[in-house]
Amino acid sequence: MSLYDSVMAGLALVGNLEAFLSLAIGIVIGVVGGAIPGISATMAVALALPFTFPMAPINGILLLLGVYKGGIFGGSIPAILIKTPGTPASSATILDGHPMAERGEAGRALGMALWASCTADFVSNLALIFFAGFLASFALSFGPPEFFALILFSLTIIAGVSGESLLRGALSALLGLLLATIGLDLVYGTNRFTFGDPNLMGGLNFIAVLIGLFAIPEVINMVWHPTGHVGKVQKLGSKWVTFAEYKRCFRSIIRGSFIGVFLGSIPGIGAAPAAFLSYSEARRKSPNKANFGKGEIEGVAASEAGNNGVAGATLIPLLALGVPGDVITAIIIGAFMVHGLQPGPMMFVLNVDIIYGLFIGLILSSGILFIVGGLAIRGFRPVADIPKRILMPMVLVLCIYGVFAVNNNIFDVGVMFAMGWVGFVMGRYHIPAAPFLIAFILGPLLEDNFRQSMLMSGGSPDILLRGPITWFFWTLTVISIVAITRGTLRADRAGG
Amino acid sequence: MQLRLGIGAILAAIFLVTYATPNWVSTPSNVRNIVLSPLFWPYILGGLTGLIGLGLALSGWRGDPGEPVNDPIPDPGAGAARLVGFAALMAVTFWAMPHLGMVWTSMLAFLALAFLVKTRHPAAAVICAVAVPLILYAFFAHVASVAIPQGELVRLP
Amino acid sequence: MRLKTLGALCAMSLGLAATPALAEYPERPINMVIPYGAGGATDISARTIAEPLGTAVGGTLVMSNITGAGGATGSVAVQNAKPDGYTMLFARVGSHSVNPAMKATLPYTLDDFRFVTVYEINPVACAVRPDSGIESMEDLVSLTESEGTSYSSSGVGSMLHLAAVFVLDEFGIKDPLEKATHIPQKGGGAAATAVLNGTATFLCTNSSALASFVANGQLKPLMVTTDEPVPGFDAPSASSLGKPDLRQLVGWTGIAGPDGLPDEVAAKWGEWMAEAAANEKFVEQMTARGSVIEVMSPEEANDFIETQYNTFRALVDKLGMRVEG
Repeated sequence: MSLYDSVMAGLALVGNLEAFLSLAIGIVIGVVGGAIPGISATMAVALALPFTFPMAPINGILLLLGVYKGGIFGGSIPAILIKTPGTPASSATILDGHPMAERGEAGRALGMALWASCTADFVSNLALIFFAGFLASFALSFGPPEFFALILFSLTIIAGVSGESLLRGALSALLGLLLATIGLDLVYGTNRFTFGDPNLMGGLNFIAVLIGLFAIPEVINMVWHPTGHVGKVQKLGSKWVTFAEYKRCFRSIIRGSFIGVFLGSIPGIGAAPAAFLSYSEARRKSPNKANFGKGEIEGVAASEAGNNGVAGATLIPLLALGVPGDVITAIIIGAFMVHGLQPGPMMFVLNVDIIYGLFIGLILSSGILFIVGGLAIRGFRPVADIPKRILMPMVLVLCIYGVFAVNNNIFDVGVMFAMGWVGFVMGRYHIPAAPFLIAFILGPLLEDNFRQSMLMSGGSPDILLRGPITWFFWTLTVISIVAITRGTLRADRAGG
Repeated sequence: MQLRLGIGAILAAIFLVTYATPNWVSTPSNVRNIVLSPLFWPYILGGLTGLIGLGLALSGWRGDPGEPVNDPIPDPGAGAARLVGFAALMAVTFWAMPHLGMVWTSMLAFLALAFLVKTRHPAAAVICAVAVPLILYAFFAHVASVAIPQGELVRLP
Repeated sequence: MRLKTLGALCAMSLGLAATPALAEYPERPINMVIPYGAGGATDISARTIAEPLGTAVGGTLVMSNITGAGGATGSVAVQNAKPDGYTMLFARVGSHSVNPAMKATLPYTLDDFRFVTVYEINPVACAVRPDSGIESMEDLVSLTESEGTSYSSSGVGSMLHLAAVFVLDEFGIKDPLEKATHIPQKGGGAAATAVLNGTATFLCTNSSALASFVANGQLKPLMVTTDEPVPGFDAPSASSLGKPDLRQLVGWTGIAGPDGLPDEVAAKWGEWMAEAAANEKFVEQMTARGSVIEVMSPEEANDFIETQYNTFRALVDKLGMRVEG
C-alpha cells in the first residue's frame, strides 16, 4: 500500500462528523478534568475509558487522546490562577504563571499557555508521524545505565529552578530525595521509614505531595496574613497575549517542544520533568534571565511547550512498540486491546488505516485544542474575581476532594496537610519548592536505575559507561556542572 | 537565617546517619554488595545533607549579602495564634472525615477557615460553605464515580 | 462530653442501619476496591466484569483503585472496613497468595478476608527475546546453569518474581537465586520492556500481558503453565514438558470481603457472580485475552487459594526467599 492509499484509508475512517465530535468531546472533557486539581489528565482518561467501549475503535481512541491532550493543557489553568497544578505536568507552569496572575496578568499567561501548548502539540504530532519508527528503536536502547545517566543530567535542572540561592535549592532537592525513599525497597522489598504503616509502604502519593507543597502553603500564608493581598490586583486583566510576544518566545517554545518529544518518546519519564527541563533551558538561554520566576511570560511558554510536547510523543513507543510511556498511555493501551487491536510493529502492517486515521485526527486535535482552550480560559475567568478569603477555603475543600479521589485514600489528605506545613516553613526560609518536586520525581528513578544497573553487571560500575548514549549524557552532566559552578562563582564575586 | 538553616541541616544529617537510617530502614542480612543495600542511598543522602548544611552555615556566617527577609506583618502574635488554630483545624478535619463523612466535614472546615481569617463577606461564605462541598460531592460521586467517604450519620444519595 | 454523645449517636444510627441493611442488601452503592493501578491486569479484569455484575446486583458498583505496596495498601483498606458487604476487594494472585507467602511484614494474612469467589484464571507464560538464541526451556535452563541469566518482575513479592524462581526450581536448577539475577522493575509494563530492551533475559507473567508482544513477534514464548497449549502462543504446555506441578502457577482474580462477612452477603455474591460470568460478551472479552472464566464457590475459592499459598510458601521457605525486614 502506498502512502497515498494509506492516507486515503485513514481519511475514510476519520473523515466524518462522528470522529470529529469524539475528538472534540474528548478535548472538552480533558480541559475541564485537567483544570480540576485531583482529577488530572490521568483520571480523566481512566474515567472516559469505559464510555469508549461501545464506540467504533478509532472514535474511542481519538476521544481518549483528546482527553489526554486537553488534560495536559487544562492543568495549566488552576496552576496559573490558584497556584494549584491541575495535573503534575503543569507544576513548572506555576513558577512564572502564578506571579503573572498576581500581577493581574492571568489572561496573558493563560493565553500564552494555550498558544505554546497548541504549538508544541502540533510539533509533537508531526514528530510522531515522521519519526515514530526511528525514535522507537532509539527508545529501546535505553536500559537502566542509559536512564541513570539521563536522570543524573536531568537533576542538574535543579540549578535552573533554584531561584536566588543554589545552596537552598540543593537543600530543597535533598529533602525531596529523602521523602522519596519512604516505602518498600525496590530490590529487597524491605521497609524504609514506614514504621509498619501500610499506608506508608506504598510511598507518599505524588499528587498529595505536589498539591500539599504548592496549594496548601498559599492557604496557610493567608491564615498568617489575611489582609496581605488587599490592594494587590488579582484580576484576569484585559491584557491578552500579543503575537509579538509569541514570536519572542517562539524559540523557547520550539526548543521545549523538542525536549518534550525526546523525553516523551522514552518510556518512563513523563511530562513533568520535560516541562522543568524546558523551563530551565529557556531560562539559561533567555536575555530576560533575571525575570524568570517573577512572572516572565517566556517561562510559561517554555513549560507548557515542554509538557505538551510529550503528549504526542508518548504515542511513539505505544504505537511502534506497544510499550506505554506513562500511566495515561497504559490506560490507552487498554482501549486498544478492548477493541482487539494490538499496538506494536505489526499494527503498521495490519491496521494501517487506523494508524493513519489516528495521525489525521491528531493533527486536527491541535486546532480543536486551540478553540476549546480559548473558550475554557473565558469560562474560568470568574475564578480570578472571587474574594481571596472565600477563594482560599474553596481551594482547601477542592484539594481535599481532589487528593482523596486520586487514590481513594484519606491518608493522602493527611500527607497533603503535612506537606502544606513543610511547604510553608520552606517558604519562610526562602527555600524554593520546585527543586523538591523534581528531586521527588527523579530521585527514585535515579536510585532504581542505578541499582538495576548494578544487578545487571553484578556490582561492577563499568556498566554505567557502557555505550554512546551514556557517554553523551555523562558529558552533558559534566558540562552542566562546570557551567553551574562557574556561574555561581561569578555571581559570588559580583555580589561579594 | 542562612546560618540557622545550615545548622539545622547539619543536625538533621547527624540524626539521619546515626539514628534514623540504621533504625528505621530494614535490610536483609545477606546483601552481597554494599551498593545494592537498601541503606546505601539513605546514607548518601544523609552525607549530602550534611555537606549542604555546612555550605549554608559557612555562607551565612560569612554574612551573605543576598540574605532574604520576610515581609513583616502587623500582628505577629495573632498571626501565630491563627496558625495554631489552622493546624488544629487540619487535625480535626483529618480525624473527622471518616466519621462524619467528607461532605459535612469540609463544610465545617470551610466555615471555620473563612471565619478564622475574618472574611468580609460572611453571607457569601456561608452559602459557599454549603454549596461548594455539595457540588463537589455531586461531581465526584456521580460524574467521576469516586466513593467519597460518607460517614455514619447522614448519607447523601 | 459532646464526643461521647456523638459516639452514642453514631453507634445508634449504626445499629439502626445494620438490621435492615441485611434484609435488602444492597441498599446503597457497593465500593469495589481494586488494589492495583489503572490499566493493569486486575483493573482491566475488574472493569470488564463491572458491567454484567452491576446488572446482576441491580445496584451501583463504585470502582476505586487504591494503589501501592504491591496491592497491600488497597487490601488493608478492605481488611479494616466494616464487614457489611459494602466494601469488597478484587483480590489477585499477587496480593493474596504470593505476597502473604513471601513477606513476613505484610500487615494482613489470608484469614483477614472472606473470599466469595474466584472468577478468572490466567495461565502464566515465560518469554524471551526472539534474537536471544534461546529456543526452548532446555536452552534457558542450560544457559542459566552455565553463564547465569536474569529475569524481570514487577517488584519484590510480585507473581512474576516468584514465577521465574518457581519455574527454574522445577526445571532442576539447584540454587535459582544464585544462578539467575532478579531485576525488579516498577510495574508489569516495565517488566516486559526490560526483556524487550535486553536488560533481563526472560520473564514469566500472565499470558494476557504478553499476548500483544507475542503476536507482534517481539517476544518469543517458551512455555505456558496449563495442561493445554494457549491459543496464540506457539509454546509447549508445562504438562507436556513433564512438569505438571507448574499448573499451580496461574494468575487469578477473585472477590473478597473483610473477615466476618455475613453468610447472607456471601450467598448473594455467589448468585450474582454465577449470573454475571454467564454474560457472553464478558466471557468473549476475557477469553480474547487468554483468560479462563470459571466461577468458583466460596469454598472452592478458599481451597484453591490455600493450596496455591501453601505451594508458594513451601518454595519460599525451601529457598529462603522470605522478606523479613
